[in-house]
Amino acid sequence: MKLLLRLPLIVLLGGIGALAMVLPGLYAHAQDSHKIGSIFLGAAGLFVLLAAILGIATAGTPEGPRARSVLLTMLGTMALLPAMLAVPFALALPDTGFFNAWWEMISCLTTTGASLYSPELLPAPLHLWRALVGWLGGLFMLVAAIALLAPLRVGGFEIMSSPYGRSERFERLPRSAEGPDALAPLTHPAFQTELADPAHRVMRAGRVVLPVYAGLTLLMWMLLLMLGETGLVALTRAMGTLSTSGISPVGGPAGQGSGIAGEVVIFLFLIPALSRRFWPGGGELRASESWAGDPELQMAAGVVLLVSVVLFARHFAGAIGVSPEGGMGVLGTLDSAASAAWGGIFNGLSYLTTTGWNSVEWQGARNWSGLSSPGLMLAGLAMMGGGVATTAGGVKLLRVYALARHSERELERIVHPSSVGGGGLMARRLRREGAYLAFIFFMLFASSIAVTVMLISLQRVEFDSATILSIAALTNTGPLAGAIPLTPTFQGSAGMAGAPWAGWAGLPGLTKAVLAGAMIVGRVETLAILALVSPEYWRR
Amino acid sequence: MKIIICGAGQVGWHIARHLAGERNDVTIIDTNAELVRRATDALDVQGVTGFASHPDVLDRAGARDADLIIAATHSDEVNMVTCQVAHSVFQVPRKIARLRSSAYLDAIYSDLYRTDHLPIDVVISPEREVARAAIQRLSAPSTFDAETFLEGRLHLLGILLEPDSPVLNTPLRQLNDMFISLSAIVSGVRRGGKLFAPEPGDQLFEGDQVYVFTLAEDVPRTLEIFGKPMAKQESVVIIGAGNVGLAVAQALEARPERIRVKLIERSRARAEDAADALNRTIVLNGDGLSAELLEEAAVPRADAVLAITDDDKTNILAAVRAKQAGAKLAISLVNDPTLMSLMEPLDIDAFINPRASTVSTILRHIRHGRVRDIYSIGDAEAEVIEAQVLSTSPIAGRAVRDIEFPEGALMGAVRKGERVIKPTGDLRIEEGDIVVIFALTSDIPEVERLLQVSIDFF
Repeated sequence: MKLLLRLPLIVLLGGIGALAMVLPGLYAHAQDSHKIGSIFLGAAGLFVLLAAILGIATAGTPEGPRARSVLLTMLGTMALLPAMLAVPFALALPDTGFFNAWWEMISCLTTTGASLYSPELLPAPLHLWRALVGWLGGLFMLVAAIALLAPLRVGGFEIMSSPYGRSERFERLPRSAEGPDALAPLTHPAFQTELADPAHRVMRAGRVVLPVYAGLTLLMWMLLLMLGETGLVALTRAMGTLSTSGISPVGGPAGQGSGIAGEVVIFLFLIPALSRRFWPGGGELRASESWAGDPELQMAAGVVLLVSVVLFARHFAGAIGVSPEGGMGVLGTLDSAASAAWGGIFNGLSYLTTTGWNSVEWQGARNWSGLSSPGLMLAGLAMMGGGVATTAGGVKLLRVYALARHSERELERIVHPSSVGGGGLMARRLRREGAYLAFIFFMLFASSIAVTVMLISLQRVEFDSATILSIAALTNTGPLAGAIPLTPTFQGSAGMAGAPWAGWAGLPGLTKAVLAGAMIVGRVETLAILALVSPEYWRR
Repeated sequence: MKIIICGAGQVGWHIARHLAGERNDVTIIDTNAELVRRATDALDVQGVTGFASHPDVLDRAGARDADLIIAATHSDEVNMVTCQVAHSVFQVPRKIARLRSSAYLDAIYSDLYRTDHLPIDVVISPEREVARAAIQRLSAPSTFDAETFLEGRLHLLGILLEPDSPVLNTPLRQLNDMFISLSAIVSGVRRGGKLFAPEPGDQLFEGDQVYVFTLAEDVPRTLEIFGKPMAKQESVVIIGAGNVGLAVAQALEARPERIRVKLIERSRARAEDAADALNRTIVLNGDGLSAELLEEAAVPRADAVLAITDDDKTNILAAVRAKQAGAKLAISLVNDPTLMSLMEPLDIDAFINPRASTVSTILRHIRHGRVRDIYSIGDAEAEVIEAQVLSTSPIAGRAVRDIEFPEGALMGAVRKGERVIKPTGDLRIEEGDIVVIFALTSDIPEVERLLQVSIDFF
């Protein structure tokens, strides 16, 4: 264990990824597809060996924990690790090419869940592999948030951290630059113990997060099995829900095997993606003492209800005067109203957490509302995103909340310019520095959408398709492309199993590369990448 | 009786003055030798310089045979430790402490002050007393002074008579006949700066300040008859978010009628604390004297403005400014009693004297037993005494008209059992009744003789 901890983090993660290949390998052998099975097991052996060699080579020169190395590790994990994970995938689908396999693995690991392939044409072990990579990606984000991002105060932690250089009270300036009670910053050498090393931190965080994460996945798998879902589908649904990757081995809505009951289970297990409260660690993100007062949960409940109410009420605005025939008609209307409401609520939460499952009732909800493309609302939800430091992508609820509170406060100040806002230290911090940083992030997010759209539009891709694909990639909500009617492109190919009509597979290579980059940027967050660009991080 | 008072600040000083005047053996302790010297010069007390909580200092002050210790230094913690030392080392039987911080005052922690924990018999919070006085003043907005007795069933209202008041130029005897069912009794009149107790034949004139006793249910009618109808209060501006201002704002928020409260505070940190503690109240950060801020707080349309910062001059100026801007009612907190005579020329409607309320609360607890309540009027010009009639008292068993009250004393109400009665000439006072008596300072000893009350009765 001690030896392992001296290794660079990315080598450790590579080893874990290589070990994970054993699972689809064994599954493939059990399914009698021995060719795929031996590919996976062989790749597992090869990469474990490679990781061991790399480990031996790097163990001697432990690198000091620097912000740069941590952020580079994050980037490396998201960009390079998929290259390794893609090797068995590419070998199992020989005609797709390594680049497409790599793209697919980036999409899985960043919990985007966008797929180049048609679900029914892909062998089951590859589905398991995709879901497993997505699940590991979700686990990595949960761990990395508290182990890697929290000390750097990025990834949402910047909103709640106390601002540098000043006490959080308005008061007279101290007589000297260093106040009497100035604390040494965390970068002070005295704080740089071995325990602050990223590998140590990841191990510690992993030890508390993994049992909860794996336990919830197992529980959800069991529940779905009990509700009549088949084994592989239930497992991938469980993995895709907890990691919010939305990867499934079958197309179609979430509850097609298990019905509304299964969707209720999925709905419940999506809730942990709304707040870090549900996961161990990250206590500094708690803006309120009680669950009921949690701003992220409140925001999520409000937004999901708003969307479903709009979808529901739109019906009455559009369909006044349409009288169903007789009593049966009324009953039928009630039935479809209830299913429309459920469809709206489920899809609302599913897209807010950037998972992207559709409800079996979603079609009903669309018809009920009478809107031609309610999917745009879902795109808006996906941009809003789930909770800070969870598996969800997007702008994150806490940032949206900070901005909302800030604007509310500004309105108050129009009436009473010298009024003082209440709510406590946390609320004040959120409204001031929090809202400022959230605004910066929001603008960065908006400009990354713009840049991605521009880069995609260089090729011959329809503008609206480009926009939706960019949003789907940046918010890590792959299935979004399927929820909105797109004009597909047929300039590239992903081989026999490809599904260019779904929007992704037919894109030219450069566009795919841009989208893969967008997924990584969306996952690691623009702010963290900008931090990497800042010269401060490169100074020795 | 031997009494030790710790802290020669305003509260300590005034308690010492009262108690020394009642021929008690008072010793005052303070760290400031100058304050102690002044106290020993001006009052009939002894002085000790030093830390009140140090056992040797208490010993020097004679804690071994003291009957009562009053800890009223500026520090809550010193007051607590002083009581503990007085209890554990010197076995002083009765201990009173002034505690400011509301954290120490929460009712759920009152168990803390049990004898085997922190032995404090009575905890006095000046801020709370002032906040209570401010709320009381707000609830009778047209009066310049207000206090309740007999568990809130009897009100004492100070009313300034305006030219349009219906009671002017009428002998008080006739007023009684005109409003037979009204329980009001005019107990004191201040005319030309001099307070006196009126005779039945006296008349009231424009500009008189009268003190009227009335039962709680008759307050609106009394105010109407004296020409000060009750005004409904919808928006209140409080200047100063100290402990007092915050407590008042919280009390106003808790009222069922939704009063719009605005709170003005100069210190940003303090304003933030206040904003955190309040929900509906709008907290404004800035100088309460600045015209723009008063405008922003909508003072011109406010029903009442309370100036309760810790500085008398700020309070008076802010109240004047608010009144000038058009506020209907301006109330100001004034520590210095000599400033109170400025109220009328400055057109400030009412004042709150924190010392008076604290001192009267402490005195009330000292005289625990037969004298149940004492309220000091004006600059110690008169007192209202609520007392139980003892069997030994010369007034027990006699009709009111037969009691030889001194000229400056008047009976305001009598409580027999659960009934509160307006005293008439043939009402017989019996043992166990509770009487409320208004007495000018010069006549208090005579009243106390009548009640047969001495300080030993607690």
